[in-house]
Amino acid sequence: MKFKCILNGCAPNVKARAEELNSFIGTYLGNAALTGSTILFYANQEDRPALHDLVPTKSVELVRVGGYQPEIILDALKCTEDKEDTFLYLFPSGVVGAELAVRWAFRKNGSSLVHVEQMTLEKGGLMAVKKAYADHVRATFRLDRQPFCISLAKGSVERVPITGRENLQIIEHDLSGLNGDGFVRDTQWIPAEQARDLTGAKLLIVGGRGLETRENIRQLKEMAGAMGAEFGISRPVALNAWEPMHRLIGVSGTIARPEICIAAGISGAAAFYAGIEKSKLIIAINTDPQARIVKAADVAIIDDCMAVMDELTKIFMFDCTEQA
Amino acid sequence: MKILVCFKAAPNVEMLLDEDWVVDKKLLIDTSFVRNDLSAHDESALEMALQLSDASRDLGMHVELNALTVDGPGATPILKTLSALRFATAVRIEPGADFLFQPTAVASIISQYIRLHAPPDVVLFGSQSDIGENAKTPLLTAEMLGWLCITRATRIVPTDEEHMTVTHQVDDGHARETVRVPCVISVGDAPCTYLRKPTLRDRLSYGKKPIAVLAEEDFQLPEETETLMDLEILRHERDAAIIAGESPAAKAKVLYEDYLKPLLSRP
Repeated sequence: MKFKCILNGCAPNVKARAEELNSFIGTYLGNAALTGSTILFYANQEDRPALHDLVPTKSVELVRVGGYQPEIILDALKCTEDKEDTFLYLFPSGVVGAELAVRWAFRKNGSSLVHVEQMTLEKGGLMAVKKAYADHVRATFRLDRQPFCISLAKGSVERVPITGRENLQIIEHDLSGLNGDGFVRDTQWIPAEQARDLTGAKLLIVGGRGLETRENIRQLKEMAGAMGAEFGISRPVALNAWEPMHRLIGVSGTIARPEICIAAGISGAAAFYAGIEKSKLIIAINTDPQARIVKAADVAIIDDCMAVMDELTKIFMFDCTEQA
Repeated sequence: MKILVCFKAAPNVEMLLDEDWVVDKKLLIDTSFVRNDLSAHDESALEMALQLSDASRDLGMHVELNALTVDGPGATPILKTLSALRFATAVRIEPGADFLFQPTAVASIISQYIRLHAPPDVVLFGSQSDIGENAKTPLLTAEMLGWLCITRATRIVPTDEEHMTVTHQVDDGHARETVRVPCVISVGDAPCTYLRKPTLRDRLSYGKKPIAVLAEEDFQLPEETETLMDLEILRHERDAAIIAGESPAAKAKVLYEDYLKPLLSRP
């Protein structure tokens, strides 16, 4: 039986997604008697030499396309996979993985599940686990119809670097002529304003709706800067456009793994908490002792978060000056 | 241009207490006693449709807005609000069963509804409901219709009668694309898209229009290819130590000395 990983090499951060798939394969398919290969799409010829290092399996099909558009990728998959008997397609986390998994399963008359955290192979089927009920519940599904197409949940596995690709088997396709039915008249790529990688951040300070105003959010961001901390926001703050979306922490933003996270003025909705739950120490500052975040923190202060953060910044700065 | 917005009202589960989280024999959690709200992405989709209509009017183009939900009577207040916001039609399809984890059934009903009635140029969805979190209905609807699909849109601007410019999230950034209709668009995290409130005058003038209700029996349902097997409640509890003190300064000092400083000074 064969499984295939599908990777979008047109995106800048494909390495992180390849390492994520590498980890998932090692965890859930390492002992299975399966043959794995990868289909890696790319657009720029200059990216081609580095693609070998992005392959989490022993063989790869490198498929050159005009750029990422789901219609083009699905047409390209049809070209490369038409006669293939693949029983499992693995797609990485993110927007692209989720949309391709569902649509490809439909076209192959298979079954799909997105944002999968865990997987178990069963005779003739596949069991997969994902979150539901606004991330309050872990739901287990049985996928009944092959091919199974799943996309991973963001942050569900720790990335594992890819090594030992010396004997990689490579097949090349040039499908750069596909145009996706001319549905898109023109495309402009807008790269994300790069947030720093929060995975290993020492201190992350996150501001929420409890801060009430854009000005308070701005001040909290300044305090974070003064303390050398990374700064993030919750969903209501992002939707008010008080800070750019790339600072969003939670299921639809960044899944952070800092050593310390200070949640200031945050109620603690489960979809947000998923973004900080891997922190070693969670500190909640909130006026409401009943707020969900208070129970879910290691340490809590029940008080006005701006007043506490202002004092904390002064103490931190004073201590730094003393030590200097 | 004719736009259909598909949405779902979902219980606000953040209002549930810890003891309310109980899985019953049918693998459901009773949320009947909490308020139904629009799912966040669905709310954004409805407001973006209104903004698209406003912008089209400025360009001299007419946009007809229509709303559809596959949901119980709990969705009626939202449909009435949409009528008051001048949606031309507000339709509810009464589900015969709980479709929380059956996106294929929902997509099938929506696509059949679209084929049976005058097809719109654009179908807008939220990317996923807050409760089911299936994130599949817009994609499956596009596939069933054989239409093209743009996901996680954050901005839609009218171009002409047959095109619109859609900014949407992709991996590591956004793409801004001019696309032709018909198409399905799912809306993602879009800033400044809280649903506007109708005026009292519009509520009185338009909000009392009857809501069309169709029955699920009018549609053929496909076989689901994924089956829910188990639900496990997640408890996020770390037993927080509460720092007491007479003032914010006193509390901040304890926080720094006892918790932050030892960790921050570690290499």
